[in-house]
Amino acid sequence: MRYLRLLGIFWAASAAARMEYRAAFVVAMFASVIETAGKLFGVYLFYSSGFELGGWPWQEALLVLGFAQLVDAFFLLFFVPNLRRISEMVQDGTLDFVLLKPVDSQFWVSAQKLDPIGLPYLLLGAAVLGYAGWASGLGAGGWAWLAFAGAGAVFLVYALAFLLATTSIWFVKIFNVVHFLSSMIWSAQYPVQAYARPFRLFLTFVLPVYFMTTAPAELALGRAGGGAPWAMFLVGLGLFAFSRAFWRFALRFYTSASS
Amino acid sequence: MLLAKARTLLAVHFAYMMEYRAEIFFWILGGLVPFFFMAAWSEAARQGYTLYSPLEYARYFFAVFVARQLAIVWANWTFSDWVRTGKLSFYLLQPLDPMWRLLADHVGERGVRLPVLVVIGGVFAALFPGALVWPGWGALALGLAASTLAFLLSFFVAYSVGLLAFWLEDATEIFELWYVLVLFFSGMLAPLSLYPEAVQRVLLWTPFPHLVYLPAALWSGLEPADARGFAVLFVWTLVFFAVSRLLWRLGRGRYSAMGA
Repeated sequence: MRYLRLLGIFWAASAAARMEYRAAFVVAMFASVIETAGKLFGVYLFYSSGFELGGWPWQEALLVLGFAQLVDAFFLLFFVPNLRRISEMVQDGTLDFVLLKPVDSQFWVSAQKLDPIGLPYLLLGAAVLGYAGWASGLGAGGWAWLAFAGAGAVFLVYALAFLLATTSIWFVKIFNVVHFLSSMIWSAQYPVQAYARPFRLFLTFVLPVYFMTTAPAELALGRAGGGAPWAMFLVGLGLFAFSRAFWRFALRFYTSASS
Repeated sequence: MLLAKARTLLAVHFAYMMEYRAEIFFWILGGLVPFFFMAAWSEAARQGYTLYSPLEYARYFFAVFVARQLAIVWANWTFSDWVRTGKLSFYLLQPLDPMWRLLADHVGERGVRLPVLVVIGGVFAALFPGALVWPGWGALALGLAASTLAFLLSFFVAYSVGLLAFWLEDATEIFELWYVLVLFFSGMLAPLSLYPEAVQRVLLWTPFPHLVYLPAALWSGLEPADARGFAVLFVWTLVFFAVSRLLWRLGRGRYSAMGA
């Protein structure tokens, strides 16, 4: 409860600060429209040649694209602004103040900032998901799974992203690592079955891209036959537990600065 | 005299960029996106669906990767940062147009990036035997000419956006629009020849496909040299060069050296 109230305060403050830069928001709106259209166009290019991405009908493949958009929006809304803040705090030693507060430090550093630039991406992602769900004829159960699995996917991505963000305690400047991660997410916009086999294995076991978008789509479509999609919840919880342990471990190496 | 100046500038910025080699390494890894498209298209080709063979796709998307790497620019960030923090004041004191300093910064960085690209090329050749073939001197030179022009065009667009910092506080985001257009219409999603015909016809007059597709198609031998592509690229480069000169003239009077 207290944490929910804190969230309200954090987000209102950072959204208000960001809205000072209205031009950036307008640009982001246009960019998000172009980007969504471009990604849909990319899917169209495959289907126009008669190839079905991994044997998925187009409306179901769009479901995967919608989940990828959702993950992208999460990145822009929370991850990028908070990460920028963490590496700033490590640089000038202001992380001290966070550690002294009677609030869980991981919660603080990962929820303090919100960048409204991600909002248009979130809306468009939801629109793609809604359309794809409707076109593939989801029932009430399907929609419930879609929402639940979507939340699970965001949770998993959060844990993974936070793991990476934690390394900034040692490396301070890790912005290009983020660039690397977000470009990996590019591969998440198609069902993993669409890729040649070595890539498919890589995207399942090395980078958990399969669990981010393909698995939630399979759950929503009721295609969890083999049981593989269920593993996304296990992977998510595992990564989350690991990210908490890793954060505490990293803090032992935090030596503050100029104090 | 001029040559000595250029040499010093380049050497300084090369050394400067060497400091950031780890950052540049991750930056390059972040540019691996074309290989995902390669993985999807070569799977489609393996099942017999499209125009080209899996090896041709591998060759093409590797060329796309290189073309994109050689045309990376950040002049918008750097210049607007100079304006915002007042660093520009120091550069204004020197008898050298700041544009040259920015350009040297970009060219010097290519020197750090190139060896990493060679290593990635080696790894790629080992993973996909037969994918990389020698394009021949002619195609190589023409492709390099195209990618140099593409770099200059990207640079002048980014620099023009950076110059807007004289008027707008958050101008550099405008470059994002250019960036997403390049992402989808430069031939990174698929070779341009697979785009619907009507889309191709329109795109050929815009700078986007020539930024990546033109050099990549030359290097991978997907298509012979297209003189019109060069002409279109050249005209757009001139246009944005003129725009950046104009913005520089109009804008520098408004500079108030904040923070200096």
